Amino acid sequence: MAAFDEPRPQMSPEDFRLLRDLVHAHCGILVREDMQFVMERRLAPRLEALGLEDFRAYYRFLRYAPERRAELEAAVEALTTHETYFYREPQQLRALSDELLPQLQRKNARTRRLRFWSAGCSTGEEAYTVAMLLKASGRFEGWDVEVYGTDISRRVLEAARRAEYGPSSMRAIPPEVQQRFFVPVSGGAGRLRVREDVRAWVSFGQLNLLEPGAAQLVPQVDVVLCRNVMIYFDPAARRQVLRVFHDKLVPGGYLLLGHSENLLNLSADFELVHLRTDLVYRRPEPIAPATGGRP
Amino acid sequence: MSAQAEELRYQALQQLDPAARGALEALLAGLHDESWRVRRIAAEGFARLAAPERAVAPLVAVLGERGETGARNAAAEALVRLGERALPGLRGLLAHADPDQRKFAADILGQLGSARAAPDLVRALADPDLNVRVSVAEALGGVGARDEATAGALRPLLSSPEALLRLAALESLTRLGLPPPLGVVAPLLEDGRLRASAYRALGFVEEPGALPLLARGLASASRAVREAALEALGAQARRVPPAQRGALEASVRGALEGDPQVSARLTEALETGELSVRAGALAAAAALKDPALALPVARAGLEERLAGEVAHALRQLGPEACDALASHLVALPPPARAAVGEVLVEVASPACIGAVRGLLSETEPGVRELAVRALGRSRSLEALPLLLALLSDPDLGAGAGRALQGLSAGLQVPVREALERAQEREPSPAGLRTLGRVGGSGALPLLRRSARSADPALRAAALEAVAELGADGAAELARYALADEAAAVRRAAVRALGRVGSAQAEALLQRALRDEDGGVRMAAVEAAGECGAQGCVPLLQALVAGEDGGLAWAALAALGRLRALSPALLGAAARHPDAEVVKAALEAGAPYTAEVAVLAQGLLGHARWDVRAAAARTLAQHAGAAAGPALEAALAREPDALVREALTQALGRLGRG
Ligand SMILES: C[S@@+](CC[C@H](N)C(=O)[O-])C[C@H]1O[C@@H](n2cnc3c(N)ncnc32)[C@H](O)[C@@H]1O
Repeated sequence: MAAFDEPRPQMSPEDFRLLRDLVHAHCGILVREDMQFVMERRLAPRLEALGLEDFRAYYRFLRYAPERRAELEAAVEALTTHETYFYREPQQLRALSDELLPQLQRKNARTRRLRFWSAGCSTGEEAYTVAMLLKASGRFEGWDVEVYGTDISRRVLEAARRAEYGPSSMRAIPPEVQQRFFVPVSGGAGRLRVREDVRAWVSFGQLNLLEPGAAQLVPQVDVVLCRNVMIYFDPAARRQVLRVFHDKLVPGGYLLLGHSENLLNLSADFELVHLRTDLVYRRPEPIAPATGGRP
Repeated sequence: MSAQAEELRYQALQQLDPAARGALEALLAGLHDESWRVRRIAAEGFARLAAPERAVAPLVAVLGERGETGARNAAAEALVRLGERALPGLRGLLAHADPDQRKFAADILGQLGSARAAPDLVRALADPDLNVRVSVAEALGGVGARDEATAGALRPLLSSPEALLRLAALESLTRLGLPPPLGVVAPLLEDGRLRASAYRALGFVEEPGALPLLARGLASASRAVREAALEALGAQARRVPPAQRGALEASVRGALEGDPQVSARLTEALETGELSVRAGALAAAAALKDPALALPVARAGLEERLAGEVAHALRQLGPEACDALASHLVALPPPARAAVGEVLVEVASPACIGAVRGLLSETEPGVRELAVRALGRSRSLEALPLLLALLSDPDLGAGAGRALQGLSAGLQVPVREALERAQEREPSPAGLRTLGRVGGSGALPLLRRSARSADPALRAAALEAVAELGADGAAELARYALADEAAAVRRAAVRALGRVGSAQAEALLQRALRDEDGGVRMAAVEAAGECGAQGCVPLLQALVAGEDGGLAWAALAALGRLRALSPALLGAAARHPDAEVVKAALEAGAPYTAEVAVLAQGLLGHARWDVRAAAARTLAQHAGAAAGPALEAALAREPDALVREALTQALGRLGRG
């Protein structure tokens, strides 16, 4: 085991490009040029784990070793940011609660069925947040509700299923929500578990958004949340994923992106809807709707 | 204005077919739209046109439309997006009769950031109009030409009577990392309007007197000045080699220590400053060594580009700060947690076991791995049972094995004995592998038994462990395991054979080279090279031209070790569709100087950038001056920056740089 004062292997600009291209081809994640240092740091433990001397050897391992599929997953795992927390981007969530949910309640009143997809759900906070908002609205009790959380990383999904969270996940959650929807984990030193009735609405699965056909596993949904995921993709990959979302959304269904993301230059398949507190995207209805989006 | 009408115009431009007739006109009209969203989408559209260079002249014309501020700004944005294609048009504009237009040209060139514009801008510093000269001086900082011509043109402006000009020149020199000498910067610190900029410039001044001056700025009452000084400190810290870091920190500490507000100010800078300010605040915190800064320092790790600085600062704050942080670890956002964890692992001491044990029950990804690594470095027997219990954990087992190996460095006997006992009770692949690395011959009976286990993962691990121990009988064990029905076991057997090498290894490896499993074949190729199996050479040679890139690459490496390469073989490898094989041919060809130089020349035109770069490096090593013209020709047509660098270096080595 390398001592900590031993210099870590350095990543040459060439290794960086080769590894970056490999990862990009696999899952569309584009590591920015100025992130070479970050890539070096995050992958160094993989070299150590595999007993490899340098990044060139690691690249060859990813290309040729029998375990390359699993290792590519581990590399993507190390490179992706899984940063997430409950009630992230509250303004958008307020728009969802105040304006979209009443609309969805009316629209789906006949079927009493509602489907959400949290695409790139990380450790599950976003999917559970949606379920909590649905519960808190009191509009959908007795409905057939499913929130699908999917992510490329298997490890985050394990955590999502466990549904136990520590303080870093709770940093934005309103206290009353926390009180209502969580129970303490026994012997878990302050950790909290999502309450059973919320969990009953949420299911998780592994899915690479860029793998052709992978999204077949997800049914038609009313709302897609894909927040802070596509920021790591290049435009071509974003377009590809947006086509998937378009297919999966029912006509009139909504697409919610992170607040720094937009569809400029990417897709004309969605219309921008101005809500009172936020902007969201919508798959247009086949017949021009009467409302222009502005109430 | 109706939102819907705006949306329609927006969508029309977004969906515009760039090849259609009238596309250019539609975009030009869009630049004049009343909505900024529409203007922006129009500005983005020009680069998609079939012949974007044709848009330059009309865009430049829009810049001249007085009263159309929105359209002019949008046109400027469009020109920036056109990149170097806009250069000729903008050069022309720099000579326009109207100073407004000349200023516009300079601003756009600065944003466009092409070093090719530098000579034009240097000339334009002679413009009769002051505003234009200021814009030009600013733009020179943006085009990134770090050369003497640029520096030589900007430096004299520092003594200009015009404050704006002095400021623009100073900012640009700093941006380019070409600061004036200390003797010039020091007086500028006295000039109120230039002070903050002058402090930033100090970050790049390499003279020893820069640091004490800079330290003074750290204590300034003005926040802008303090932040500039912090930024400069960050730049200095990046530049200084680790060995000299201590001296830098000592002098900074000297300047900061007396100031009662310093910790509060650093906390503020760590939390709210720009990235470069935060980097400087981390360097200052490392110098100050105030443990109260531990948490704000740790939080700065949220920005991963600062992770190295965060780790360094935490190390300086000492083990107590780190132990305290262990209890905060799970409350930190993941990137910050990684930076703290790294240091926690390094400073792990027997005293930290308690905190680390708590982390093992966390479920968040990454935290438990950190805890395992810290235990491995704790030099404490208390860590032993914790690690042994983790050996059969599917996620943590391998890490626990490595941690045990680390622990055994100082505690060999107790670790070995406890590990053997634990594996007797419940063998696990990670545990057996670890036995191979730290165990003694006493472990052999257990390993032999495990090699007959019903679980293929245990069989494979046991085989590798026996070979690792260098035990007698490993070859025999491996031989029989080549008939195992599980590919993973056969792979392990092949690896074991390569390690122990034996009289019969050759024949066995020849058989393994034909195994149905690709992984077994790959392992056999590597093993053949490792144990010097000359009898495998014909089979390996056949693989070099084969379809499978991985096998071809490994075969080349093995043949190199076996000294069984030939120019003909290298030629075949150089035609392989897999770039790794081609590059391996160039590397393995070192003993055949003349032939490999010819190969490399041919590869300067290869479709892949990495092959072209490898060819350039090979030529730098092996070729004589005769390769010069080929390298020069390649440089002239090479679009890729990395390859250009390799070519330039090769030319330099040939004395043609
Ligand atoms: C920063 S997290 C965002 C989590 C959550 N949506 C939020 O906004 O808080 C991004 C997640 O996207 C996932 N991801 C990245 N590329 C993906 C891909 N190609 N397919 C599926 N998920 C992906 C990552 O594994 C990571 O968990």
